[in-house]
Amino acid sequence: MNQLQMALLIGVLLCWIPLSLRAAPAADIAVVVHRDVPVDDLTFSELRKIVLGDRQFWSSNLRVTLLIPRPAAHERDVILKNVLQMTEAQFRQYWIGKLFRAESTVGPKTAYSTEITVSLVNNIPGSLAFIDAAQVPKALKVIRLGGLLPGDKGYPLN
Amino acid sequence: MKLLLLLVTMLLLGQPAPLSAQQLGAANQLELIQTLIARMEQLEKRVAELEGSRAQVAVTPTNEQPLVAADTSHAELPPGVPEGPALKIAGFSDFNFGASDQRGTRSGFTEGQFILHLNSNLSSKVSFLGELSLSARTDAGIGSPAATGFNAEVERSIIRFEHNDYFKVSFGRYHTPINYWNTAFHHGQWLQTTVSRPEMVQFGGRFIPVHFIGTLVEGAVAARGLNFNYNTGLGNGRGSVISRGGDAGDNNNSRAWLVNMFIKPDRLYGLQVGGSAYRDKVTTGGQDFREWITSAHIVWSRETPEVIAEFANVNHENLRAPSTKSNSQAYYVQTGYRLPIFDKRWKPYYRFEYIHIPRSDAVFQNEQIPNLAGSVAGLRYDISSFAALKFEYRNQRRAPGQPRINSGFVQTSFTF
Repeated sequence: MNQLQMALLIGVLLCWIPLSLRAAPAADIAVVVHRDVPVDDLTFSELRKIVLGDRQFWSSNLRVTLLIPRPAAHERDVILKNVLQMTEAQFRQYWIGKLFRAESTVGPKTAYSTEITVSLVNNIPGSLAFIDAAQVPKALKVIRLGGLLPGDKGYPLN
Repeated sequence: MKLLLLLVTMLLLGQPAPLSAQQLGAANQLELIQTLIARMEQLEKRVAELEGSRAQVAVTPTNEQPLVAADTSHAELPPGVPEGPALKIAGFSDFNFGASDQRGTRSGFTEGQFILHLNSNLSSKVSFLGELSLSARTDAGIGSPAATGFNAEVERSIIRFEHNDYFKVSFGRYHTPINYWNTAFHHGQWLQTTVSRPEMVQFGGRFIPVHFIGTLVEGAVAARGLNFNYNTGLGNGRGSVISRGGDAGDNNNSRAWLVNMFIKPDRLYGLQVGGSAYRDKVTTGGQDFREWITSAHIVWSRETPEVIAEFANVNHENLRAPSTKSNSQAYYVQTGYRLPIFDKRWKPYYRFEYIHIPRSDAVFQNEQIPNLAGSVAGLRYDISSFAALKFEYRNQRRAPGQPRINSGFVQTSFTF
């Protein structure tokens, strides 16, 4: 490979990298649950009720354990904006009020990394969490939202 | 792992002069290699320990989930040791400055209630909630023995069994769930938009029974997206002092009961519409009265805008003279709007409130509950996620013909 070919190759690469970054689709956020959760599909409203703590049980013997991504994480921003239509401050105030009103006995647990989230979802019965769809391990159960999976056209969490 | 070891080896080989191969003889090189191998073994062992520790944390579920990082403390507990109930404490408080043109009043600072909120999960389905308040007394240090500086009060004490979302049963001391404000904000001034509560649900107020001692059954069902919620309760009702519930026992043999229902439709996220009924026999001043309270509320809880409107009618009937019935009424309408500018920290608000007590209402006339027509306007500034500063102006008139009273308040309220 002579110098001209090398220069051309580098030039093409330099042009392609930013183009490819720009063309990358926005990452979908997958809703994942522990394998024993007896639900495969949730409506958007049902998901909202879970995140708001208005639905606290999957069944009489299985309580929902809500795992929320860390503050400032992309997944958390998507949930606050798309699902709850709240700011971070409103979300915090909402849950403080929820606990203070005794409407919920437990608040959401913050998971600080995808690895921790996956571990917790695998091990806590009834847990539900949000993970970048590209990072969901194959063994994890992914919930459909209104019949749609991450990557499907019209999927609401991205 | 191999990559990690390789990196560690490279880092260690890259140590400065004392370990340079150029200065070492063959024996020293052998010694160095052995040292490095030992070091790598130590690091391998350490990595294995850390990975094992993380896995142990991951398999330890916990029911108590504050809005904090995943709880790792359980990993340190020896296996087989039962964990006692974990008590969580949170609190609310506020400080105020007020001034008024009402005769006989003085401007100055006041300390708001100091509230402690206690929460403990006794099992996955049984929980306890307590709320304690400390309120500054105006007669502190007066009398013999001298009055204390603060009144301590158990505001709420509730033990609840949750079977599922549809059925939860509890016993204890509640804020009576026949009024939205009374159960949405409780004693957390920081939670409410305004400095003050509407007078119909004022602390120590008598228009509606603020506290309820007894049992409640509550739950929610989806109801095709309407999200129907209910509370039904049986309790002691008002005490001899009608602002208080019968903590130490009922003052008659007639229990109070209540029903509260509301919907939160999926399609109108943020809307809540509901109504309540409450019935009791009130024994006061040596007479018995039948009390019927009916109320309704509509709330749009999104802050762009926020709308809260409530109405309550209190019907009293003297049981010795059944023909004497009276209806006292109260309502308020409050609106607020979270401004989209300045990081959404500012929220102007306005409230109009009204109370009318007819002269025929012997219960409320004996208690000298005043009429009211007034406005409240203010501005809330959220200093942080957990503290707010509020500026409020009130204009109130107690009865037609009486002078209007103007007041100004500044409050900082917070949770901790």
